[in-house]
Amino acid sequence: MRQGTRKLSLVSVVDDDESVRESLPDLLREFGFDARAFSSAEAFLASDAVAETSCLLLDIAMPGMSGPDLQQELTRRRQKIPIVFITAHADETVRPKLLARGAVECLSKPFSEAALLSAVGTALGQHSSPSATAT
Amino acid sequence: MTVQPLWLDGGWASFRALNGNYASGTAATTDLISILDTVEVPIVVLEADATIAGFNKAAADVIGMTRSDIGQASRGVAALAAMPRLDRQCREVLEGGVESRVDLRDGDRWFVVRISPYRTSDGHATGTVLTFTNVTAFRASLDQAVYERECTKAILNTVSEPLVVLSADLRIQSGNRAFYALFEVSRDETQGAPLHELGDGAFALEPFRAQLRRMIAGNDEFQPVEVDHVSTSEGQRTLLLDARPLSFPGHAERRILVTFQDITAHKQAQAAKDLRSEEELRRSEAFLAEGQRLSLTGSFSWKVATDEITWSEQLYRIYEFDSGAPVTLEMIRTRVHPDDDTLLERMIEQARDGMSDFEWQYRLVMPDRSIKYLHSVAHATKDQDGHLEYIAAVQDVTARRTSEEALAKARSELAQVARATSLGVLTASIAHEVNQPLSGIITNAGTCLRMLDADPPNLEGARETARRTIRDGNRASDVIARLRALFSKDELTLEALDLNEVSREVIALSESDLQRNQVTLRSEFAKDLPILTGDRIQLQQVILNLVRNASDAMANVHDRQRLVLIRTARDGADQVRVSVRDAGVGVDPENVGKLLDAFYTTKTDGMGIGLSVSRTIVERHHGRLWAEQNDGPGATFLFSIPIKPEGIPERVPR
Repeated sequence: MRQGTRKLSLVSVVDDDESVRESLPDLLREFGFDARAFSSAEAFLASDAVAETSCLLLDIAMPGMSGPDLQQELTRRRQKIPIVFITAHADETVRPKLLARGAVECLSKPFSEAALLSAVGTALGQHSSPSATAT
Repeated sequence: MTVQPLWLDGGWASFRALNGNYASGTAATTDLISILDTVEVPIVVLEADATIAGFNKAAADVIGMTRSDIGQASRGVAALAAMPRLDRQCREVLEGGVESRVDLRDGDRWFVVRISPYRTSDGHATGTVLTFTNVTAFRASLDQAVYERECTKAILNTVSEPLVVLSADLRIQSGNRAFYALFEVSRDETQGAPLHELGDGAFALEPFRAQLRRMIAGNDEFQPVEVDHVSTSEGQRTLLLDARPLSFPGHAERRILVTFQDITAHKQAQAAKDLRSEEELRRSEAFLAEGQRLSLTGSFSWKVATDEITWSEQLYRIYEFDSGAPVTLEMIRTRVHPDDDTLLERMIEQARDGMSDFEWQYRLVMPDRSIKYLHSVAHATKDQDGHLEYIAAVQDVTARRTSEEALAKARSELAQVARATSLGVLTASIAHEVNQPLSGIITNAGTCLRMLDADPPNLEGARETARRTIRDGNRASDVIARLRALFSKDELTLEALDLNEVSREVIALSESDLQRNQVTLRSEFAKDLPILTGDRIQLQQVILNLVRNASDAMANVHDRQRLVLIRTARDGADQVRVSVRDAGVGVDPENVGKLLDAFYTTKTDGMGIGLSVSRTIVERHHGRLWAEQNDGPGATFLFSIPIKPEGIPERVPR
């Protein structure tokens, strides 16, 4: 639901799981965000979405570059995109590490709509991009 | 020398008258002279004054009388010179009318010379007749006899063993020097004394005397008798008495030679030896008893015919019966475990049937209800009477059995832990597999609701998300089904399997794990793979394990692709093979064998159980698991199992 000329905040989803890539952007759009999905970290980095993304929903375990790898890469590139990790591995030891490295949140799949919305909201609140406004 | 026949005229006077002229005479005279000349015994006739009156032919031949001797005094005759007292003896004979004898030695020869009065027909002794009987041979044998006797005496006296000759009434006839010395008596005081009076009556033993009496009666056998004898000089001695009969030709009466052998020293040595061997026996018995105690091994003998059973001390301890109590089969039956009753009876039956060694294991139930495991080995033999006897060893193997069971339990627990460990990883991977579709379901369902709630409702979008929800739900359900199949299976549950399909399932399960480790998995499945019979879940565990190992082996590989290649192939006519090849650190050829052992691991965080369990599973399928070093980097683990399930222990699934 795009609203007039106001540019919607772009939430990018990077996950190797196809069902996530199918379902999550649809839900995000229902929430009123713009959403794009990428099947790998490399694909995301190669896209023009890097500069426009206000919030990154990032899978941890992926073939090739993993979620944390991408996080590091973005830091290296000084791309301050708030990151919400999503993972199917319910590993409680990983979460604090990722938060310590600057992640907004780490959601274990399956997660509720409320948890998702709250995490994305937090991320967008942090995002300093002038063009990004949460609805 | 010309021998002249002696001529006699029937009267002494005429003899003299005719002296020197004996060539003529009457026919009767001539006959008599002929007869005298045939007599081998020399005969010389002397006149009363001891001059030679005449002699026969033998006198000339044997003692060398000559014709010129006639009329000579006997003293001057060479042949008679050796009898210096002849004149006087002849005179005595003439005076007394009684003949006398003289021994005459002539060189080597001996003669007995009989001097008889020569009587005329009217009874007057007018001269003497000397007859020379040659006794040389007799004298020689007499000498020999004396010599032999002396020799025998010397020998007997030299012999240190006391000897005595007893007469038929068991009186001492004579003994040797050793005999008299032994009893400290003299020949004179014992001569004729009864043997049993010797040595304070030590020889009065009736069995000994009875034997001697039987020997006198003609029995030649004698059983040597031991007699204790106290000697004042030597103290207590043990004598062994032996006897043998002495029979002399021409003597109806038997005598007995009794020998006294001093066996004191021998007895003492024997006693010492007995003592020593008794000591040794006691010691070896002690060793045996101690050995039995330490090794918990008892022994028994069983005389089958009489059911006479002898137990060692240790066996009493094992059965917990009072030591020394008489053992019966009934007693043994009271201890044997009810489940082993039949076994025991069969063993007894078999044992009675004949000579064969046997070995069996059985259990005892002790009064406190505890169980003992016994291992028995019996050896069939014949006793002294030729009857069947078993000699057996019985070992209490309870401790061993218990520890074996404990070990088996520990092993199975360890295997459980190993399985749980690999399942832990597996579970995480499965959780991932489940969480992905769950996540999709929730997201899609949420989206769907929102689309329906919109005004106007986005029905097309809602349908799409609902379809995705169903798809993801099915996906999750599949994962759960696989997960359930992987849990809690111990025995083989046999079913017909397509190894390609089995492998595919494993790949599906481990895919995310492999992705996370940046491992690329490739598969090459044989198209003509035969269906085999096996346990799906367990074989999947093996493959999963090999894949995980392959993945782990490449954890530190950064300079090449982390590639795992799973291949299936026929292996010969009746086997199927699965190989998992990695490009990791590879295996040291030396470690290939050890790799398959429990606890051996090249990984720092592994328990090393996985391969061991895998091997057990493969071997349960009568197959083989092994590893090979690749030509390039890494190793290949392979297993090969037969298509036919023969001999595989099957459990019907519950």
